[in-house]
Amino acid sequence: MDTLAQAFSAALTLQAIGATVLGTVIGLFFGSIPGLTFSMALALMLPFTFSMSQTPALALLLGVYVGGMTGGSVSAILLGIPGTPSAAATVFDGHPMAQKGEAGVALGAAVIASTFGGLFSLVVMMLLLEQVAAVAIKFGPAEIFALVLFGLSTICGMAERSLTRGLIAGVLGLMLMIIGLDELDGVARLTFGTVQLQQGVNLLVAMIGLFAIPQVITTFLNHGRVKSLEIPSDVRASLPSLRQLKEHFWLMVRCAGIGTGIGAIPGTGGPIAAFLAYDHARRFSKRPGGFGKGELAGVIAPETANNAVTGGTMIPLLSLGIPGDPATAVILGGLLLHGLQPGPMLFRTHLSAIYALYIAIVLAYVVILVVQIWGIRVFVRVLRVPPHLLAVCIIVMCVLGSYAIRNSIFDVYLMGVMGLLGYFLQRIHIPIAPVVLGLVLGETLENQYRTALILSEGSHAIFMDSGVAVLFFAITALTLGLQLRSSLRK
Amino acid sequence: MRLDRWLGPCVALLALGWLWLSFTYIPAARVEGEPGPRAFPIVLGATLLGLGVLISIGAWWRSPRKMPAVAVKAISSREAFIVGGIFSLLMLYAYVMEKLGFLIATPMAILLAMSGLLGMREWRFMLIFASSVTAVCWVFFVKLLEAPLPRGLWLM
Repeated sequence: MDTLAQAFSAALTLQAIGATVLGTVIGLFFGSIPGLTFSMALALMLPFTFSMSQTPALALLLGVYVGGMTGGSVSAILLGIPGTPSAAATVFDGHPMAQKGEAGVALGAAVIASTFGGLFSLVVMMLLLEQVAAVAIKFGPAEIFALVLFGLSTICGMAERSLTRGLIAGVLGLMLMIIGLDELDGVARLTFGTVQLQQGVNLLVAMIGLFAIPQVITTFLNHGRVKSLEIPSDVRASLPSLRQLKEHFWLMVRCAGIGTGIGAIPGTGGPIAAFLAYDHARRFSKRPGGFGKGELAGVIAPETANNAVTGGTMIPLLSLGIPGDPATAVILGGLLLHGLQPGPMLFRTHLSAIYALYIAIVLAYVVILVVQIWGIRVFVRVLRVPPHLLAVCIIVMCVLGSYAIRNSIFDVYLMGVMGLLGYFLQRIHIPIAPVVLGLVLGETLENQYRTALILSEGSHAIFMDSGVAVLFFAITALTLGLQLRSSLRK
Repeated sequence: MRLDRWLGPCVALLALGWLWLSFTYIPAARVEGEPGPRAFPIVLGATLLGLGVLISIGAWWRSPRKMPAVAVKAISSREAFIVGGIFSLLMLYAYVMEKLGFLIATPMAILLAMSGLLGMREWRFMLIFASSVTAVCWVFFVKLLEAPLPRGLWLM
């Protein structure tokens, strides 16, 4: 009870509420503009959390995450362009509804479905997190190594076109992690005498460069070439009627289940959940012919599922320290930055902080409801800011953000180099997300591997003696095998 | 030319370079039974080399008709200008910020980006925009977040 009271007092301070509101609005904004990703928003916001205390800082990041996931539906419905990949399935029926003059109903249904999905997954997350953590607390270095290796295999899900390219990106991320002082031996690795490099490639600096700069370059390249977005002037969200809600209630429950389940599997994420839910809704609909022409269930299903992913991804993230997608990789960075080491011990050492995060997520959904139902007209006006001007502001935020991390100009130069690397990787169809995943998980992977071998006096049998480790190795091999088969078929 | 035909050898070359650096500059294990600081970099280098070879084999041995249609467009002069321009701008911004401080470097960078890279010529708007963004950032970082921003080594 004391823990819960502590959580409430931490999450309901003026600073924490303000941070949640700000984060959610920023997330909604970045999520709704096609081309701006909420992973980028998260990376840009991280340095701003430095001077904040733990709960407001994490509330800001969670607000961006939850808001970003929901925001994608606005442009999907109004423009027929998904603001985020997770909102792609919403376009199928959301935009036809807008064309029929039912944009308000679609927006209202989307926000109710999003809130329902998000809160449903939060409840599941609250129920499951401690159970998973209770199992994981028995893990030693061999099991953690196997688990992190499995986490890295989620690269397969982020590999987009080709498994080989995804793996190359993952290895590049791991290589970047190598640079700097080796934690176990204290040896400088590939720093070439540069003092600043001894601390290694800062994860946040790398994320800002990799996520934001390629986007800025693309926006500059498109300036004057791509027609600016035509956003309808008179937009007002209206809540679905009680009858409509009752009619779609069980669909929302099923789709929230799909989203939470998919989200809990690292490397899957919102788009898969949304498409599965859309397909499920169509299959079980009494009016399957109406799908694609403006069916309300076609908006409710994907929006419930993609928001339910947010709670699902938090299960492996908080209980095992495994981020399921680029956005949760950034949140992992934020947790580490503010003294929370995700994993089983988190629930013993920082239980009140976890409860405070739950409260922040609930608050974020309240903000979403308010902003999208009553503030949608103001919001739509903000969306009219020309993207090239936003890109100029993003350059400034990138520079100041990467400087603020360690008050180091070197980090700004490093961010620029990372940005250039990110752009060229994208250019040759090598995905960026696995690079980030490699950077995030690499250190644990190496340290646990070496610690396990120190414990076993150099014997690799330690990895095979543990049933849990063998299970994770098997799942990793299965994941890679399935992806390889799918790649070969293509 | 198909992308994979040059990507594979490039990745393999990068891996060979990495392996050479790892063997040359990272010491081997000092304790028996411990893999040491060099082991992991070498495993990574070898993995990357394997992936590079795999792509090369796939690209050169398969018939062009069976190859996946992953092609890359040549870099246009406009793209080179924008990419090079943004990178140079970031480097210049960082340099000027260190030497002359945030308050001079930020409007300079914004004006350069807008006029040089975006080709904008509405100077009044650009000046207002640059000074507003600088002011907002200053208030946000220095006053709200109490984060120190560079004041400029040459001016201090």
